[in-house]
Amino acid sequence: MRPELKRLQQIEQHLLGVPQPGQAEEWALQQLLDADLETDTEAQRRVYQGLYVAGQRQLRRELEAIHERLYGPRPGRWRQLAAASLRVVCTGWSRFSGNH
Amino acid sequence: MKTLNLLPHSSPQAAVQLRHALQTNRDQTLTQLYQHTFPMVRHHVLQHGGTAQDAKDVFHDALIVFYEKAVAGTLELTASASTYLVAVARNIWRREVDRRQRCNLADLNEEHLQMPDQGEPAEAGAAAEEVSVLDYVERLGEKCKSILLSFYYFQQPLEQIASTHQYRNVRSATVQKFKCLERLRNSVRNVLTETFSH
Repeated sequence: MRPELKRLQQIEQHLLGVPQPGQAEEWALQQLLDADLETDTEAQRRVYQGLYVAGQRQLRRELEAIHERLYGPRPGRWRQLAAASLRVVCTGWSRFSGNH
Repeated sequence: MKTLNLLPHSSPQAAVQLRHALQTNRDQTLTQLYQHTFPMVRHHVLQHGGTAQDAKDVFHDALIVFYEKAVAGTLELTASASTYLVAVARNIWRREVDRRQRCNLADLNEEHLQMPDQGEPAEAGAAAEEVSVLDYVERLGEKCKSILLSFYYFQQPLEQIASTHQYRNVRSATVQKFKCLERLRNSVRNVLTETFSH
């Protein structure tokens, strides 16, 4: 991985990983040496928050789809009703045209 | 497809099995839970003053709580998954009924017939930030969005993400995941830098 991606991974470990002994001191030292670290860490923290919200929204859409699949109107049922109605109309029409 | 027998178990192994099933076969597992549990939740909500729409909303909220706990490994099943879900849904519905009753009381109180509170500026700012991050997630493109959500929210194993997106191995999928994360982070970082500079 290129260095920028490794840095991203390091920030991820700091934000999401299990804290290791001595990690806090090491992080404080890195912040002194790397002027952009604080802003990058804050941006990455917001990215994880945003991904959490986006994930929840997707899960909600998936649950909605499952609900529709299990309890929504079935397309087959509509087709059957439409075909039955058409049959009634056609039968009526043939009777009508046969009588005249 | 194999049918998962998740419902009668209540052991720690059942929680592990459930976690694995949700991570690797989300749609089928959620559909099974839905089929078994929703009728009970609907019955409860309808019996306690709610509508069919309320039942669906409550059940979706319960399933989200359940999913997040299960994949995080913090779900402790002392009963079947179905029983647990019904209990969560009942709690959510009870809170919702309380909230509605409080709202009705507030509506009757003349003091509350003033203009609604606009909320704290800090809260409005947080919501705006959330919206802008969501915008950037949507702009990522399907592949990056799918990889990031699969990993960070749905907690799918990287092996599965690699296989779904046809990467040769986990390492390639990991690199791609960080590239996607980098794009998103840089977009958010630009907004942050602009905000701080004004």
